[in-house]
Amino acid sequence: MLRSCTAGLRSLWALRGGREGVPRLSTDLQPAPVSPGSRAAKMDRKRLFSAEKVIHTDCALPNPSWSKDLKLLFDQFMKKCEDGSWERLPSYRHRSTQISEDFKTYFLEQKPVKEGRLSQVRLFTRGFEDGLGFEYVIFKNNDEKRTVCLFQGGPYLQGIPGFLHGGAIATIIDTALGLCATVPGEAVMTANLNINFKRPVPLCSVVVINSQLDKLEGRKLFVSCNVQSVDEKTLYSEATGLFIKLDPEKKSF
Amino acid sequence: MLRTGFQVAVILGHHGALPGLTHLLPRFNPASAFGSSTETLVSRFCREMTESKNYALPNASWGPDMLSLYHEFLEKTKTEGWVRLPSFGSNRDHIQGFKLPLESSANSDKSDWRLFTRCIEREGQGYEYVIFFQPSEKKSICLFQPGPYLEGVPGFAHGGSLAALIDETFSKTAYLSGEGLLTVNFNIRFKKHFPPDAAGRGFISTLDTVPSGEPTNDHLPYRGPPAEQGGGARSKR
Repeated sequence: MLRSCTAGLRSLWALRGGREGVPRLSTDLQPAPVSPGSRAAKMDRKRLFSAEKVIHTDCALPNPSWSKDLKLLFDQFMKKCEDGSWERLPSYRHRSTQISEDFKTYFLEQKPVKEGRLSQVRLFTRGFEDGLGFEYVIFKNNDEKRTVCLFQGGPYLQGIPGFLHGGAIATIIDTALGLCATVPGEAVMTANLNINFKRPVPLCSVVVINSQLDKLEGRKLFVSCNVQSVDEKTLYSEATGLFIKLDPEKKSF
Repeated sequence: MLRTGFQVAVILGHHGALPGLTHLLPRFNPASAFGSSTETLVSRFCREMTESKNYALPNASWGPDMLSLYHEFLEKTKTEGWVRLPSFGSNRDHIQGFKLPLESSANSDKSDWRLFTRCIEREGQGYEYVIFFQPSEKKSICLFQPGPYLEGVPGFAHGGSLAALIDETFSKTAYLSGEGLLTVNFNIRFKKHFPPDAAGRGFISTLDTVPSGEPTNDHLPYRGPPAEQGGGARSKR
């Protein structure tokens, strides 16, 4: 849901002739144009680099906490991306302050807040250290209007001892469905989420969430998904959701 | 602080009693907790765990609304039989010798496993909540203050974070009512995102759960702009 907003906002930047592009990697960044050698320049570069380095780490890439199953599936889907039918959606821990403010004023008509208050904000699903919380990557097929989310739930997502918390499953389902519902340039918010839990998910295991867009009625997007084991033999949950496109004209949900 | 950090949500979970299982308890007394299934469950659940930290207590990050609601319900624990539920880092601390009716349960609870709604250690950054349970009516109220690490849409709490806390409240209510534990179905209707001018003001949202049938909404008097969330869950033993 929230990353749908980020994806939408990137397009928004492009449409509005944004002041700066949203780089995908910290290596894409350029320092601000000040006279080189000045103290201001050095301070600017240091601040810009350190801030941007935090903001723009793409978390939807393998790290040492990923299990073999997860890495294997990741490689399989990266191969599918080669012909352009699938794309891997990047995912960041923090959003830049400018993007947050623009989103709020454009879609929700809120007054801007002080930067200090926003600096401590984290995207909920990316707020954990490697391997402890949500380890996931989402691949999208735009033609077929579906997404596949590869998810590994870490030890901080426990509910019943040894199993994933129902709310953690709900969170990742909400994320996967939201990204399935979103279209570049638009933002969506969840209106309804209905989950059937068939079997509990063991902690630290890998599951595959297949979501698709079922129906589109005006601003309403009806999506559904299932949560399966890697070998597709176990069905853990099924869910349906209703998402609403945010309308900048109406400034309301 | 973000406006989400100032908002306090009170979630009321009410578990409808099945015929034959209603117990009228004018006053809950842990000392005489035997004979009644709810009493036994509650006293076992609320056992003092000196080695585990109890998170369901005020800390420096709690805002004035959260504190005033907390004290209001704390008074009710003395006069009206409400019970403040302790909350530890893992559910295993509550449920001693718990056996799951499942084939593949984990053999050991590793020390780094944490309950999802208690996984963010830093005070005020994630979930700040406390659940009060009323044994005689099998209903509970959860006071919730979301922090900046729970963000979804810019400026608002992630829908999943709210779902997790609702699931947690449902699960505790169902368990202590002796009716169930694992969630089978979970349906949330998000009616309104937290209104932008609710910063610094508490508001109360309530939901009513019944073991079967459609969920209904009851509203307690509120102290802020209206906000409502409807939801229902069925659980099985």
